[in-house]
Amino acid sequence: MGERDLGISRRSAEKRLSAAVLESRRLPVLLLLPAILLMALVVGFPMIYSLYLSFTDFTLLSQSSMKFIGLRNYVTLFKDPTFLAALGRTVLYITITVNVEMLLGLLIANAMSNVVKGQSVLRTILMMPMMFAPVLVGFQFKWIFNDQVGLLNNVLFEIARHPVIIPWLIRKPLGFITITLAELWMSTPFMVIIFLAGILSISKDLTDAAEVDGSSEWQKFIHIIIPSVSPFIYIALAVRSLDVAKAYDLVSIMTGGGPAHRTELIWTYVYRLSFTSQSFALGSAMSYVTVLVAILFTFYLFRQLIKARKVRGIQ
Amino acid sequence: MKRILAVSLAFLFFAMTLVAAPITLKAAFIGGANYEELYKAIPQFESQTGMKVEIVFKGDGFQIDKKLKTDFAAGTVDYDVCWDHSSFFTQYIKAKGIVPLDDYFTKSDLADFIPKILNSGKKDGKLWIMPRHFDISCLHYRTDIFNDPDMKANFKSQTGNELKVPATWDEFKATALGLQKILPSGVYATEFAGKEEALTGRFYEVLLSEGGQYFDKNWKPAFNSPAGVKAATMLRDLYSASAMPPGMTNFVWEDVAKNFVAGNIAMYTEWYGWYSYFQDPSASKVAGKFDIARQPAGDGAVHGGWAGQHSFSITAASQHKKEAAQLIKFLTNPDQQYLEAKLGFLVTRQSVWNRIISEAKATGKALDNKRLQLAQLQASEDFVTPPLVAEWLPSSDIVYPIVQAIILGDKEPKAGLDEAAAKVGQMMKERGY
Repeated sequence: MGERDLGISRRSAEKRLSAAVLESRRLPVLLLLPAILLMALVVGFPMIYSLYLSFTDFTLLSQSSMKFIGLRNYVTLFKDPTFLAALGRTVLYITITVNVEMLLGLLIANAMSNVVKGQSVLRTILMMPMMFAPVLVGFQFKWIFNDQVGLLNNVLFEIARHPVIIPWLIRKPLGFITITLAELWMSTPFMVIIFLAGILSISKDLTDAAEVDGSSEWQKFIHIIIPSVSPFIYIALAVRSLDVAKAYDLVSIMTGGGPAHRTELIWTYVYRLSFTSQSFALGSAMSYVTVLVAILFTFYLFRQLIKARKVRGIQ
Repeated sequence: MKRILAVSLAFLFFAMTLVAAPITLKAAFIGGANYEELYKAIPQFESQTGMKVEIVFKGDGFQIDKKLKTDFAAGTVDYDVCWDHSSFFTQYIKAKGIVPLDDYFTKSDLADFIPKILNSGKKDGKLWIMPRHFDISCLHYRTDIFNDPDMKANFKSQTGNELKVPATWDEFKATALGLQKILPSGVYATEFAGKEEALTGRFYEVLLSEGGQYFDKNWKPAFNSPAGVKAATMLRDLYSASAMPPGMTNFVWEDVAKNFVAGNIAMYTEWYGWYSYFQDPSASKVAGKFDIARQPAGDGAVHGGWAGQHSFSITAASQHKKEAAQLIKFLTNPDQQYLEAKLGFLVTRQSVWNRIISEAKATGKALDNKRLQLAQLQASEDFVTPPLVAEWLPSSDIVYPIVQAIILGDKEPKAGLDEAAAKVGQMMKERGY
């Protein structure tokens, strides 16, 4: 075979390789295409239509006379003290619940990682709150905090030996505290499970070396465990932040966002505006503002996650 | 040839099957508790008419309202007959979801219905809803408190006045404040439903009694008048004096009823529909220990009379409107109304009222009889629905959180109602009023 022949066969081999590479790149896209089309239909189209509605005066009852009104809904929103208060309250709710869940999750996961016998049973028991639908948790805590027949006031009555009628769901800031407690009870196990997985993945050599060096449990926790599980922390924070940001069921059952908007979060207000007041367009505008805030927040968290992975040497 | 004959016979057979197939009427109804009893009579309608009835949805009042609104907006109505209500039907007219009934009901069909109730289902001169049963509130009070000699003596020594059943809202407030000083811990003088349309409706009722209006004739909010301020102030003063349960702003109908049957409330206004529950000794601690009186009147010399009727409508999407009207006629005929009356519902046919009143007289139970006489009086004189405008519920969504804020002391009555009026006014303007 001459050099020319070798060149030709090399070129045709390269062409065949490029075609194969191209084929192999197209294949995943082709396989994903049905799912992408379905998502576009079920998620994408409603989102785009909802965005369009946010620039109109659409109400459920008068869709035939709907007209384009530009940014008026967004201007109305940012002038609405109830919306601004609900937005601030939602950010506060996310900040408190997610951070407390993270702290509790780390402490509980760390303690559990040291349990040798019965850890799987303990894990199962701990996961039980996660198995309840938020609606059920809402009813449960609404009963616990009921001022007349609730469990908590009855327990306090037994202790104090005279009627204790604290309106947990009504008084400021007790209403906010009760919905936070309900969320913490329901969702801390999720953090525990994630962090436990992270802790169990830490190389024993690290912790053994720390012990040999005379580190206390607290020093091990701060300087080894937390840095090692930081990628898990950022993932858990991102997931839980988005979960808590869309809190609706639990708050709707416990307080309905009231009284007098005292426990109003973004999604209870969106629901009220869209379905009870029928201001679908205003509700859509509010949803988009919230989604934008959520996207920015998630973007920040994932940047932190990437940094944490680099520190850990994971690319 | 044989093949053509076979195909033709098959086609003919298929066509005959279609023609012979009974009409199936689909319905979306209110469900739960005693509402379901009426639907047990549907097989009777089916055997009488040869039609089939399929209930495609059942839910509570708020669930079915949301379903109807969403279906009317989305054009996904697949039922012929739907539940309706005097507080909600104007929305459905605006959504073009229901049709007027005048073409399907003659004067003789309507002659037996109580006029005030029937007329509450009319808008723009047309009848839109057929009444099934109605409800109105009366004052329920504990006879073991109001008739107790010690309570009377203590009340007199605390307030200088006799303890008696209030006839006006001013007397209601004074009595409640006085009672709260002498009632045992954990028992409250009164209560109101404290959120959603329930609170707006109670506020509206007292507002009208005091001579006020919710909207003026141009659909501008008018509830921030002196009458409105007086109504809101009464609610606030009762709450701040702890004459109402502290959790009251989280109560709706079931909660206030449960408080009463638990023996925690001395007097309050409640719908007649709860009567059998209150008198059931297995569920109620106040069975046989309460009496009723007409709703208090206000400065406007008007007795409170916020009322509503549960009813039926025919959907615009229905392909069988005449047949749908037949179903509605059956469900609201005297026999079915009598059965519902026996369950404790306040029915809407005069002939059925006459029958149950004479039966109640024969039982010898004074309260059974008094209840019917009073309800009949209120139906004919005090019955008033919320404003017949589609924006009643959206306006309520603005008003009730502010009334809650007034009750809780977060806002002053006048300032709060002015704020609510401004927001409702803006909403009405945006919607073309």
